[in-house]
Formats: sequence, structure tokens, C-alpha cells
Amino acid sequence: MKTRYLRYGLQTIILMLVLYAAFGLGSRSFEAYCPFGGMESLWGLFTTGQFTCALGPLNLSMLVGILILALIAKKAFCGWACPIGFFGDILNKISMKIFPKRPVIGGKLKGWLKLTRYLVFFISLYFTYKLGELILRGYDPFYAIFTGFKGHATLGWITITVTILIGIGSLFIPMFFCRYLCPLGATFDPFSRLGLIKITRNEETCTKCFACADICPHAIAPHNFEKVRHRDCTNCLECIDACPEEDTLELKLTI
Amino acid sequence: MNISRLLLPVLVIAALFSGYFLRAAFTKPTTTAAFEQSLVNSENKTAILTCIVEGVKCKGTANFFTQLFTGASGIMNLETFASEHKVIFEYDPEIITSDDIRNIIEQKITFKDGSQRQVFKCLSMK
Repeated sequence: MKTRYLRYGLQTIILMLVLYAAFGLGSRSFEAYCPFGGMESLWGLFTTGQFTCALGPLNLSMLVGILILALIAKKAFCGWACPIGFFGDILNKISMKIFPKRPVIGGKLKGWLKLTRYLVFFISLYFTYKLGELILRGYDPFYAIFTGFKGHATLGWITITVTILIGIGSLFIPMFFCRYLCPLGATFDPFSRLGLIKITRNEETCTKCFACADICPHAIAPHNFEKVRHRDCTNCLECIDACPEEDTLELKLTI
Repeated sequence: MNISRLLLPVLVIAALFSGYFLRAAFTKPTTTAAFEQSLVNSENKTAILTCIVEGVKCKGTANFFTQLFTGASGIMNLETFASEHKVIFEYDPEIITSDDIRNIIEQKITFKDGSQRQVFKCLSMK
């Protein structure tokens, strides 16, 4: 069985649980489970000993759990659990069918654009810490969607425009939100590089057919690495499934 | 060392579960308030009442909720937990009953524009 189906199965279950909470059927708001909320709560906890705005202990404990996971299995949370990543992945697969020849962002531009997620990370934390409000909510398409555009902090046409732009961006650039805008991804980056479980490549059997590079949703080129330490790797294992050579790309515990 | 692919979903589920169950270690109230009655009635036996209140959803609403009890007799301590919509009262049952507390929670509030509406609703009490 392709690993993708196992991954989609787990992501579907998690998405259903998020929707269950978003429809108000759980004891908490779906926001209470967001690990980035843990980052947003840190300053308030440090300075006043209290959680900021609507944040609570679950945000922080989820962040801790997932950072430990990142130290073990890199960004496996992004590839195997995050409903936002799931949406991005599905949109990417649809887009591949509609636009088989999408523009490829390469070179220095690719590197510079990736810095935008750090910008989102710092701006959101700075203003959340300064104002005591979750300022990202008004621009967060997923908050907008899960609250039916009726959430407390929704900014009307601004939120709708941002949601549409991210949708369009996702059709042309694979994992657009994850690559360029996700502040949680920026939080994981330093931990992800240290992750113990990673994909490795056997140079002797690799034919450099680029099948792994073509399928990678994050445009990592596994054929260039002996061990894929890349900060964007979510251990989604698409490359292992795509590799035509036996025992060439493997999942390994490495130090 | 080669690793089974199945280990990844297992680790992800374990991380999510451990995150969920670790929350107790990080529990802190959104707001806390101790009222003057705590000094007056300190010899009396107190009772604890935990309510789930619709409308307590962030620090702002939690502060607003706390203000409703500023002049109420018999309430000693009040803690709100916005992310769980939970409020814990420590009160003197000889001065105020749980029904009185519910009435204060569900009272209609007059706003600056003169309109009146119920802001909070008690979903459960125990």
C-alpha cells in the first residue's frame, strides 16, 4: 500500500476531529488545539503568568508534544497531521492534474520567498505580545473557514481576499501556505534539522532519475542528499514511494 | 538503522495524545479575582462551583464576566479558564446559592447604546 493513503487516512481523521470542534460539538474551540497558540502564549505566561486572549494550556502542551516529535521525526506533524498541510496537499494534487506545467520558483528567489514565513512568525508574535490579541486570526484563512467567516476577529473583505489569494497561490505553487506563510513551520525549522528519523539515499543504487524530486511537494531534491536534513522535509515519504530502485531511499534512524 | 514507515503515524499519534494529556501540567487561569468577602466570611465553610459558561471565550470576555461579580455578596474567589469556557467559584453557600450565581451570570446587561441583552449563558454547573 502506498504510504500516501495511510497518511491521508490519518489526516482525514484529524480533519474530522477539527471540524467536530469547529462545529461547536467538542468541549473546546478548535483554536484550543493549535500548537502555534502555544508560541503566542509564551510572552503572556512569562510576564503575567496568564494566557493571552483565548489561548489555554492545551495550546502549550500541544506545542511541547509536537516539538518533541520534531526532534525525533522532523516535521512529521506537518506531513501527517496538520489539516492545513492536508488541504495544501490535496490542492497540490488537483492542481497537478489541471496545470501539469506549473511555474517553478528556483534560484535565489526560492530562498528569499521562504523567508516570508519568518516574517509572518515575527510579526504575529510581536503584535500578539504587544497588544494581547491574537492578531493573526483576522488574516488566517483557516480560522475564517472553520468559523464560517463569522469568527470574532474576522476582518470582512480583508479575510476573504487573503483566503482567495492563498487558494489561488496553492493552485500554482505546491504547499504555498506551508512554504511561505506558516508561522508554525518557522517554529519547527531549527528542531526539524535535528530530527533523528530522516530519509537517506544510497548513492550506489541511485540512478538520479529525479522521480523523487518531481514528486516532492516541498521541492526538495532528495537525489542531492545522502541524508535529507532539509528543514522543509515533512517525512511524507512520497519520494520513497516514487523511487523505482529498491532500497535506495529509506527511512532511517540517524544521528 | 532502517525504520518501518508505520512508526511515523504511531509517533504522530503519540505526540498528539501526549500533548492532549500534558495540558494539566500547564493549566493556569485566564483571570483570577479575590473579593472582599473572603476576609469577612473566612470562618465559614465555603463551597466550590464549576460552571461551563457560553460567552467566556477570551481574556476580554473573562474580565467582563469577572466584573459581574464585583458587588455580589458571598463570592470569595473566581477563576476563569477561557479556552475551556470554564469558571470556578469559591463561595459561601449561606450567603449566596448556585441559583443566585446562575442568575447573575445570565442577567441581561445594559450596553452604552441603551440596548439590553444576555451575554453569558450557563451551560452546566457542578
